[in-house]
Amino acid sequence: MTKWQRPLQRKDSGLVLSMGTFWGNGRKGMGTAMKMETIFFQLLKGMGATVEIFFLTLLFSLPLGLALAFCRMSRRKWLQGISKLYISVMRGTPLMLQLIVVYFSPYYIFGVKISAGYRFGAVILAFALNYAAYFAEIYRAGIASIPVGQYEAAKVLGYSRGQTFFKIILPQVVKRILPPVTNETITLVKDTSLAFVLAQAEMFTIAKQIAAKETSVTPLMAAGVFYYIFNLAVAGGMECLEKRLDYYR
Amino acid sequence: MELLEIKHMKKGFDGLSVLEDISLSVKEGEVTSIIGPSGSGKSTLLRCATMLERMDGGELKYLGEAAAWEENGRCVYAEKQKLRRIRKHFGLVFQNFNLFPHYTVLKNITDAPVSVDKTPKKEAEERAMKLLRQLGLEDKKDAYPYQLSGGQQQRASIARALALQPKILFFDEPTSALDPELTGDVLKVIRELAKEHMTMIIVTHEMQFAKELSDRIIFMERGVIRSQGKPEEIFSSPDERVREFIGKFTG
Repeated sequence: MTKWQRPLQRKDSGLVLSMGTFWGNGRKGMGTAMKMETIFFQLLKGMGATVEIFFLTLLFSLPLGLALAFCRMSRRKWLQGISKLYISVMRGTPLMLQLIVVYFSPYYIFGVKISAGYRFGAVILAFALNYAAYFAEIYRAGIASIPVGQYEAAKVLGYSRGQTFFKIILPQVVKRILPPVTNETITLVKDTSLAFVLAQAEMFTIAKQIAAKETSVTPLMAAGVFYYIFNLAVAGGMECLEKRLDYYR
Repeated sequence: MELLEIKHMKKGFDGLSVLEDISLSVKEGEVTSIIGPSGSGKSTLLRCATMLERMDGGELKYLGEAAAWEENGRCVYAEKQKLRRIRKHFGLVFQNFNLFPHYTVLKNITDAPVSVDKTPKKEAEERAMKLLRQLGLEDKKDAYPYQLSGGQQQRASIARALALQPKILFFDEPTSALDPELTGDVLKVIRELAKEHMTMIIVTHEMQFAKELSDRIIFMERGVIRSQGKPEEIFSSPDERVREFIGKFTG
């Protein structure tokens, strides 16, 4: 690579070149610039992995977060302590670092050879473990906000503890925590791009690869548009859900 | 037969004694009102009797069956299964209703019979509709609690308690959270229950109401029963403190 082919590291010429491609001005861009459609389709393929990471993370972290919230609110001091420490570490260290730790720890701690198939699993595991910590705190706040009278009414009416939680408390908690969960979910969409540290071929990884190859920021901008559209859909879906729970106060 | 028997009930919070030594028994069909200044322990008594609060000492019996008793100076409760069975004997109406906001009025009333007592849904709904008709809430069966006035909410919560067919019903200041205008409907419902000889224990500040409907009034102060008797006895009590208290509320 000559220095002219690495414009992303040289602001002066790089910006001119990439903007040229971005605005579709072929003369100023590279002669062999990738067509917009090609970029589009390549990113779309990466989008599949992004969506997969997104949904699998939610699938595992939402219930895990609830279990963690229970531990955090447990009367057993040791359980409370452990979950508090876990949440504090998960929230207090970079997700990027957590991805690396989850991926490499089987080798460095247990001496197990890391197989190629573990990469995606590591991404999902790290994301789920991280997001569970955030969700746990959201659940905890939601559960604590339910008036004690609801528990007392249920108790006097003879509901078991499980029935009380799942029939009476949880539905009300879900309604209350929907806005903060939406926030977290939107952050998750953008955080999926961190999977690039394990070279997981999700959208942003691909966008970066194309950008490097084509010496253009267009793919990155396009990726931004994709994330934005994805988040519009997520926010729209959550709003729908909020409306559906609007039948009571 | 005694539906409820309380002997030497004691309860304190953080070393502060709230119930000193309360003994009380209630026969079938009897209406008992508990009056007294705030902080006298009325609500705590009700909460201990309904097992929302664990008492520190004494004995609690429903229909002759012991829910709690004293052993070596400590208060022991019966095992879970037995307590569950004993809980079925009583219902409690809260000051602030505590209806389930995510259920319709009908579901609020039928859910416990269906999911706790395993009553068939159809039967539970028929029973609920009968109660709603009695309480004048028939047209509100599909409404959610937030759509009801306070008085309607309290009547719905009475229906919810009655749907489990308790032998004894406790009321914890059932009209205290209501507008004066709305208390009438609720009091009317309680009056009708008294006519049907429902056994009730009512903590209340409505003196006139207590006088007219109770078989017995208990005056509590500082964690003890200071005076008790038929309404006319209490209202013309030789105890000046009792008369003074009643005078404040009857104006």
